[in-house]
Amino acid sequence: MNRPGSNPAPIPAEDLALYAMQALPAQEMAAIAAALRDNPQGQQELARIQGDLALVALSADQQPAPAGAFERLQQRMRETAPAGPASVPSEGPIEMTATQAEITAAPSARRSKWATFTPWVIAAALAIACAILGYRTASLNDALDGESGLVSNLAAKASHAQQVLEVLNAPNAQRVTLTATKTPAEPTAHTVYLADRGALVMEANNLKPVPAGKTYELWVIPASDAAPVPAGTFQPNGEGYASLVLPTLPSGIAAKAFGITIENAGGSAKPTLPIILSGE
Amino acid sequence: MSDPSSNPKPFPNRTSNSENATGSVEDTALLSRVGQGDEGAMEIIFRRYSGPVYSAALRVLHDTGQAEDVMQEVFLQLWRNPTAFVQSRGSLGAWLVVVARNRAIDLLRRRKPSDSVDDVALPSPVNVAGEAERNITVEKVRRVMAGLPQEQRTSLELAYFEGLSHSEIASRTGDPLGTVKTRIRQALITLRKAFEA
Repeated sequence: MNRPGSNPAPIPAEDLALYAMQALPAQEMAAIAAALRDNPQGQQELARIQGDLALVALSADQQPAPAGAFERLQQRMRETAPAGPASVPSEGPIEMTATQAEITAAPSARRSKWATFTPWVIAAALAIACAILGYRTASLNDALDGESGLVSNLAAKASHAQQVLEVLNAPNAQRVTLTATKTPAEPTAHTVYLADRGALVMEANNLKPVPAGKTYELWVIPASDAAPVPAGTFQPNGEGYASLVLPTLPSGIAAKAFGITIENAGGSAKPTLPIILSGE
Repeated sequence: MSDPSSNPKPFPNRTSNSENATGSVEDTALLSRVGQGDEGAMEIIFRRYSGPVYSAALRVLHDTGQAEDVMQEVFLQLWRNPTAFVQSRGSLGAWLVVVARNRAIDLLRRRKPSDSVDDVALPSPVNVAGEAERNITVEKVRRVMAGLPQEQRTSLELAYFEGLSHSEIASRTGDPLGTVKTRIRQALITLRKAFEA
């Protein structure tokens, strides 16, 4: 806003034209409106531009008002008494913005309802938006709670699996195979295999020591009759115990059987007969 | 009385007498009577200006129902407070049509009314006396508009009747912002000079 007595900054006529047509962003509209205060020259030029624009309006095809338009207006007029000078002596010019709601609140057969219901629609929309946001917040909290529970569950499972592995792999674990009394212990092996992950765990007991330069090797026998897949070499400890935990295996190989052979140290690409242990 | 609304008559002249040269009661006197609740005076004003007001709104909105909404609001506003129009602002007809255009743009852009009546002040280049002169004015405006360079007229019409901002016009036409501004300004200058000559 310009101070009284100061020279107001000139407003480019091009901007004034756009201002008169409301063709500027809100921020620039506000800036020019502020610059127009206490700026008689700017106001005068704006008035001339408005006059020019009234001429532009005349370039539209001239159409008569719809039939019965005055009668509809008259109906609304009778619901709204004119505010004469005696009744409102001090108000002076009023702003359209102040009466817009009152105008649009009056009934009219032809009038669209958007203006009347706009505040209510906005209020309803806000209420719905709040409800949706509240629901979404609750949903997100539920989802977060669910995720937290899932994480806790997974952590518990991982901890349990870790404990299992530690027990299985502990070199000092006492491993005992129980058999019928006085029956010599036979070599056995147990495999747990997940084909889709290529994950395998094997435990073997009562294995005899292999000769020097030899090793046990586990094989996955594919269900597709393809060549056996080597699943890792291992040596039993002094008690005949050995294990393989998650050896490197391709995933997706359905197994119809497993076998253990004795191979040269370092393993073999193909199993060497005889098969010491096998299972389907 | 025939329905004058079927024959749109843009802005009549105001004189210092209560009746002008064509025998019509001048706007100021009519507004005074409207202030007293005279529906007959309001009807005269409505019949006199409803065509241009409705036409301007219709040109913007392309919807007869919405155009009538705007027209009704503008005239009802005048009925509620005829002192809203101050004679020093210029022609009542020009004032009504500019307010109607602005309201139509507000409706088109689904925004609240963005200017007050006080913001619309006009000198009186569009005052004309009598129906014949009014028709001549309309024809002259159209002739001048048709004679504008195409890009000037397009920019002006996009801003005035379509309610596009200068940046939206620049995006649509591919012209720089400054060029759009200059074209609109030049078009208005041409129009003004044509009526000042």
